Amino acid sequence: MNSILGIAVKDTKTFFREKGTIFWTIAFPILIMLLFTAIFGREIPFNANIGIVDYDNTPLTTGIMTGLNSTGVFTVKNFTDNPIQAREELNATAVRAIITIPKNFTQNLYFQNASVSLVVDETNPDVARLCRDGIKTYFSEYYKAFYYQNYGTNYTTPLTVNEEEPVMGRSIGYKEYIVPGMLCYPLLFSSMVVATGAIVYEREKGTLKKIRASPARPLNVLFGKTLAALFQTAVSILIMALLAYFLLAPTLNWNVPLLIPIMFLGSINGISLGLIISCTLRAPQAASNAATTIAVVLQFFIGMYFPAEYLPAYLQQVGSIIPMTYAAQAIRSVMIRNAMLSDLVYPIITLVASAVVLYVIGVLLYKRWVEKE
Amino acid sequence: MGSWFVCLNGLVDDAMSGQAIIEIEGLIKRYDEVIALDGVSFSVREGEIFGLLGPNGAGKTTLMEVLCGLRRFDEGRVLVQGFNLATDAYKIRSLIGLCTQETLLYDLLSVRENFAFSASLYSLDRKKFKERVEFSTKVLGVGEFLNRRVQQLSGGMKRRANLAAAIIHDPPIVILDEPTVGFDPTIKREFWELIKNLKGTEKTVLLSTHDMYEADEICDRVAIMEKGKIAALDKPRVLKETIGGAASIRVRVKENQTRQALAVLKEYNGAQREDDEIQIVVKDPWKTMTEVSNKLASKGILTEKIEVVEPTLEDVFIKLSGRKLTEETPQ
Repeated sequence: MNSILGIAVKDTKTFFREKGTIFWTIAFPILIMLLFTAIFGREIPFNANIGIVDYDNTPLTTGIMTGLNSTGVFTVKNFTDNPIQAREELNATAVRAIITIPKNFTQNLYFQNASVSLVVDETNPDVARLCRDGIKTYFSEYYKAFYYQNYGTNYTTPLTVNEEEPVMGRSIGYKEYIVPGMLCYPLLFSSMVVATGAIVYEREKGTLKKIRASPARPLNVLFGKTLAALFQTAVSILIMALLAYFLLAPTLNWNVPLLIPIMFLGSINGISLGLIISCTLRAPQAASNAATTIAVVLQFFIGMYFPAEYLPAYLQQVGSIIPMTYAAQAIRSVMIRNAMLSDLVYPIITLVASAVVLYVIGVLLYKRWVEKE
Repeated sequence: MGSWFVCLNGLVDDAMSGQAIIEIEGLIKRYDEVIALDGVSFSVREGEIFGLLGPNGAGKTTLMEVLCGLRRFDEGRVLVQGFNLATDAYKIRSLIGLCTQETLLYDLLSVRENFAFSASLYSLDRKKFKERVEFSTKVLGVGEFLNRRVQQLSGGMKRRANLAAAIIHDPPIVILDEPTVGFDPTIKREFWELIKNLKGTEKTVLLSTHDMYEADEICDRVAIMEKGKIAALDKPRVLKETIGGAASIRVRVKENQTRQALAVLKEYNGAQREDDEIQIVVKDPWKTMTEVSNKLASKGILTEKIEVVEPTLEDVFIKLSGRKLTEETPQ
């Protein structure tokens, strides 16, 4: 057996016998995937308490309240003409919004200049958004119905938004979104963190001395470690993909021949970053901690759990300089949008270029570091 | 292959009497302002156990790391089996097996897997590997725990496995850096036997130690290192005789008879009181010891203890440096 293979076999055996590493690189992401799918991958029934202060108190306003109640989205509490109590309950989050119907609302409605006021509890932005949108939509629809009933013609909104069919031709659920994202997890944690650990461990344990005292060339050592990290990443991805396939049964395009080169390139990028970190930081513990911290932070930038568009623009800029972002994009494009190689020219060229540049930097740093010792 | 004389404190390295396998000439290694190796020159003969004896910081480990290609050197010349370290470092690495004081084994791998990994570093083929594992089983006694993970082994087993892994590629030269540091006396003796066994398999052993008994017990020749230099080099016996001083007889009698005993032994010119004992320096202490004992008995003086004290390598080191071996080298 030559030294490249020897190092790869040794590193791989050590990897699969280290229970902690197995947990964090394979079991943990699977748990996250299942957990996130359980939380976000279902229809969430939304219901909020809202209050109404009704100064008008006519059958029409009572009808409005009944209508809001019947949507199933809101549970209406009538404060009649007691705005103080309504405010107190809003502050105590007992209700999430207060609609105030002014006196003469019913009369004004016929003169087409009626209005209501709305106060929303902003302490939970998501709930506030849902309340605001829901209430506005309800009043808009109510007015449309009212107009038609009384004037016999359709009320015309200034702008109609017609929603088209989704691009994929089918809608996707959260599990279809997160499975491709989670397949990128090993690119960070099996490639980058493990590659850092593989070199750091040898330094810490002193075994690097044994390797350096042998006729094995530094490049062979590096190739051996790269081979091991690639294999470990491949096994991690395979296990995660199989479990995701059988446990979640996502509707995805498993174009394996196209996914393999993308993941290979993503993995080389991860390994190169790991190499750079391990050779830049002198203290083994510092290098190990840095790699883990960077991986933990990067997973939020590359769109693993949620679309990168959720990030503020300046954070999206950060994501755009991380090679794994392109791997995540390409994997999603293949698995969700049925993209072909011709659709992936930009991310693949970016991945190839960054892999070459980063690996060369890693090799040079490693050689310099070995010679300096 | 050339060899040369190294003259140190009047001693002559008789390297020319055997084939030199390692030849070091004028070796200098600096760490910034500190000179770790200051013109070191000596040669090691094929098949011998050569010891580097000196306190911590004397330059032993640096010298070994330079030999193994782990550190660069600044000046000088090193030849190993005729290969120049400056130009053939990778070739030389394949001729050397390095065994350090730390156990350089992977805990999660079995001993056999560790051997396989070490063998891969030297591109050993399957047949040769099998032979070497058999050798390790026979000579180093690793057979009983060959398939156990390193993390399950005792300290002694780990050390044996460590040595076996270091020489799995059957190198002609074995470098042992402080191989018995931290051993209890039993394991230390066991390890010494292993090293002697290696000599029987035609290996040349270069070992560093600061244990004078170790150097005395197993080394054919010893170089005493101090402040990056070779202070003396020869067989342990010769070093002790020429530098360590003469052997002496030490006698202890009952305290109230010490004065009387000194009077009886005054014919031995070197007799003098040392604490609660009498020390007699004579040419042939083993022969004289019986005579001394009889003389004291004939005068009714009861001998509590009588022994011959021979100089040790520690004495040699003290004579050379004025310090004990256990003291750190001042930088």
